[in-house]
Amino acid sequence: MSEETGHLQLEALLSDALRPIEPPEDLVSRVESTLTAITEQAAAELSSWAEELSEGEREALRDPRNWVRPVAAVAVGTVAGGALVLVGMRRRRRPTGLRATAENVLKTVRPD
Amino acid sequence: MSAAKEESEAADPGSKAELDRAFEELYRAHLRDVYSYSYYRVGNHHDAEDLTEQAFLQAYRHFERARRESDGRPLRPWLIRIAHNLASNYHRDRARRPEAALEAVEPPADPHRTEQIVEGREELRLVMQRLERLSDDRREALIMRFALGMSNREIARALGRTDGATKVLIHRAIKQLEEEMSGT
Repeated sequence: MSEETGHLQLEALLSDALRPIEPPEDLVSRVESTLTAITEQAAAELSSWAEELSEGEREALRDPRNWVRPVAAVAVGTVAGGALVLVGMRRRRRPTGLRATAENVLKTVRPD
Repeated sequence: MSAAKEESEAADPGSKAELDRAFEELYRAHLRDVYSYSYYRVGNHHDAEDLTEQAFLQAYRHFERARRESDGRPLRPWLIRIAHNLASNYHRDRARRPEAALEAVEPPADPHRTEQIVEGREELRLVMQRLERLSDDRREALIMRFALGMSNREIARALGRTDGATKVLIHRAIKQLEEEMSGT
């Protein structure tokens, strides 16, 4: 077998072995809802903050030294998004098998 | 919001609505790529899902800037680079964190046991096993090439290398794999 033929055969084998993997259906909606939650949270923070502003405060906001609060609102949105992801991960990582059984037994024996 | 306003916002390349629409397009077009890459890097569906989700969240946060700096070039390499970095962090964290005794009862998925992905054909199983013998960068380049169908240029951008260095990397990866296969 020539070197080129060997190369082609290996490449064909690699294409076969490393096939694209279809993501699970619920992953699509899961990522979409997380993204939506983040943007909604950030928008809600910004809008409630903007509603509270008086004319004088709006004027003061032209000074960059007063930009801490809007930045904090965006940060809250980001943290909230991160928290959502963590909650999702923890929810799905609930212990199973022997660990879960051990915890259930402990809960039954020592309910408090 | 009126339909006319919505329409004009969607057409404005800098508007939030247009940005979200473009991100949704990117997300739908490359979800499978990011998921496949994550899966071949971590070797199980559970962690691949988490990595994919994290990759898109990170991408969303930096999308506006990435789009501005991409100068019209495709954003797939940028997305895969995010997934690549997250997978590297995942392996680094796992190496640092010892497993608690009780948790060890359920064996954690070995991140490099990609051979479990292939069922049936012995030849394919062998290729996957031999892939494990390659260095990380060679294996990652082959995953990008064969699982995602990326070009040398795209792989170069995803790995932060030059086109020439990437071509050499892939050539050496295939050559080593060939030698590994013929040695069995």
